Amino acid sequence: MIEVLATIILVFLGGGIGSSLRWGVGKAVGKRYHGSFPWGNFAVNITGSFLIGFLATLFLIDWDNRYGTFMIALVITGLLGGYTTFSSYELDTAKLIGKKKTGIAATYWIGSVVAGLIAALAGIFLAGVIR
Amino acid sequence: MKHDVWLVFAGGGIGAVVREALMLSVQTVGGFPFSIFFANVIAAFLIGLATGLVTRGSLGASGNLFFSTGVMGGMSTFSTFMHGTDQLLLESVDFTALIYLVISMIVGLILALGGIKLGSGRKAAN
Repeated sequence: MIEVLATIILVFLGGGIGSSLRWGVGKAVGKRYHGSFPWGNFAVNITGSFLIGFLATLFLIDWDNRYGTFMIALVITGLLGGYTTFSSYELDTAKLIGKKKTGIAATYWIGSVVAGLIAALAGIFLAGVIR
Repeated sequence: MKHDVWLVFAGGGIGAVVREALMLSVQTVGGFPFSIFFANVIAAFLIGLATGLVTRGSLGASGNLFFSTGVMGGMSTFSTFMHGTDQLLLESVDFTALIYLVISMIVGLILALGGIKLGSGRKAAN
């Protein structure tokens, strides 16, 4: 019971911090860039994908114990899950389609997953190399 | 303005806990991560719905910040989506990886578009 409660608190804190970071990145990018491509969420999702590949590979292998499960709850599920967003990724794409910017929409929609998959793979391999 | 970060923080925390609850209760079948799939596509629909309600004037800026940037952003995840797909590829479950990737992208987009239309009250043909 204590462990379930601890997990919920860690996921909540991680999710809250990660979401605040995402919001901060979005605001910072919005101040400097006023074009149509959603660079804020793109940057968040790709850096988050790299970090999950990197950290999950280290965590799951090195910290496979109770401390490890708490770290996964806080960092992987909470922080990185809250930092990155699938819903805004689809919403950004839908909004671009609504504005008839189909080319940018398609580039963002497909480019995000291609870059995200490569970033996560790079994280997995980098963690394997430095271990 | 000063409270904005706390709206995002609280919403994001709640959303992440909802996703954790889904991860603990929804089973992975044949390697397909149904929990993350459902968390992502449901959040895509609801964020579209909220965006539609904002354009209609039924949802304010603070409410949208809490619900969309916070709860839906926290409930959905791009990192686990990418990492999960890579894991399936590395385990050579290529077909499941491809289905997971493409179905998530398409269903999420259709539901986001549908949510916007439903929320804004516009007819499907515009």
